[in-house]
Amino acid sequence: MRKIGQMKIQQMAFMIMAVFLFFILVGLFFIGIQFKDVRGTAAQLQKDQAISSLRVIADMPELNYDSSETMTVDEDKLVVMSSNFSGAYNVFWPVASVGVYKIYPAFDSVKKCPGLGCNFYDIYDSGQSNVKTYSTYVSICKRVREEGSAFDRCEVGKLVVGVKINE
Amino acid sequence: MNKLGQFNFVWLFAIIVGGAILFLAIYGAMQAGDTARFQSDTEVAKSIAIITDPLQVGFGESSFGRISFNDETRINNICLGSGFGKNDISVSTRSNVGEEWNLAGGATSIHNKYIFSSEQNSGEDYYVFSKGFDFPYEVADLIFLTAEDYCFINAPEEVVDEVLGLGIPNIEFDYPTGMPLGSELSNCSVADAVKVCFGNGDGCDMMVYGSCQSNCDSVFDAGVVSKGSGGDLKYVGSLMYGAIFSDKAVYECNVERLMYRAGKIAEEFASKGDLMDSRGCDTNIKSDLIVWSGMLFNSTADNLMSMRMTSDNLGKKNKRELCGMWR
Repeated sequence: MRKIGQMKIQQMAFMIMAVFLFFILVGLFFIGIQFKDVRGTAAQLQKDQAISSLRVIADMPELNYDSSETMTVDEDKLVVMSSNFSGAYNVFWPVASVGVYKIYPAFDSVKKCPGLGCNFYDIYDSGQSNVKTYSTYVSICKRVREEGSAFDRCEVGKLVVGVKINE
Repeated sequence: MNKLGQFNFVWLFAIIVGGAILFLAIYGAMQAGDTARFQSDTEVAKSIAIITDPLQVGFGESSFGRISFNDETRINNICLGSGFGKNDISVSTRSNVGEEWNLAGGATSIHNKYIFSSEQNSGEDYYVFSKGFDFPYEVADLIFLTAEDYCFINAPEEVVDEVLGLGIPNIEFDYPTGMPLGSELSNCSVADAVKVCFGNGDGCDMMVYGSCQSNCDSVFDAGVVSKGSGGDLKYVGSLMYGAIFSDKAVYECNVERLMYRAGKIAEEFASKGDLMDSRGCDTNIKSDLIVWSGMLFNSTADNLMSMRMTSDNLGKKNKRELCGMWR
């Protein structure tokens, strides 16, 4: 009789353990689904931010050429911002990287500016790996003076911003 | 007797363990609910940072948008100064049990925007209004976030034109001594609206005193917004709206952030001056910009009005330049 009682207690203990494990597994399953959803939402929000940041960054007073024009960046400001000056702006950018390419004439290799025949201004790079880039076309302009008169000289460029991808 | 003892033990054991499982299940469900709410509130805060991007003025004068929630929502705006600083935006929803508001979700830090609002706003509809700030060059777009209704009493024509032009529905106008000639405005219709009086008025929640004397479109281009116990907030230009719509702490912190950014832009212009000089586009305002940036780095809202004159002079000097440092 005593042995049967012990057996029943053992059975119940195993049953309780099984029920606990079942609930824990179900909980882990739901947490897994929820975190997958969080990761997806975070990635989507980062993508949305990068796309909407393209215009915001191009029109920032630190880069724009003329406050009355949109998507036009100042080449002199690009030179300044791609030098050591931009170090103070590290926390400021809402994205992982910012760069501007001169896309005409077409080039085979990227040459960092400043330098002769350069075609890429590296404004900011957080150094993060797994970065996905988004881009838009911009005008790169500077004010020049020739034969006593000043005028705008513009080239075609591409603003590229990167967002970190969480895997 | 022995069987009865066994039966009792089995039942007692089952009740205790069953109760523990039930308790853990309920606790787990509540925690899961809290996590889901925290996640949703954090997403909303991040979304606010993103959906205000299209409101950046760009080449326009100002812009307006509305953010609507399904339920009453509280937006917390904590401004942190020092350098570029940031606005920490978090969101909390109304709770049906216990505390009136749930704990706020994770805060989203916004370094490149200047959001002027109370530290805590609540409502279902939020009105977001954006306007550029020049000092004397373009510094940033200011974002004004409001949920309350406002009644502007004796507002100048420039303010009326701007607000009506943007179609901001939570700002109405009132002229107790009679409407301006040719105006089709009606009196304020919302009884508990915040009353903002320009120059004079009765029963005002805050007063705007204009003191602009030169280079002004209106006397209210510079002045003080007096909020009684909320303190006096000095402003220039579009910062007037910031002073009206935000708390003293948020306003002064955002102004310090703006001044720092204006100082960094002045430094950038000074470096740009060297590049312009090297290709014959000479500039004479480099030294002024270096001095100006030094002034800006140490300035607060209290210095705004005294600095306005220097800013105006710098703007005039730039206009006289052939190439021009900024346009």
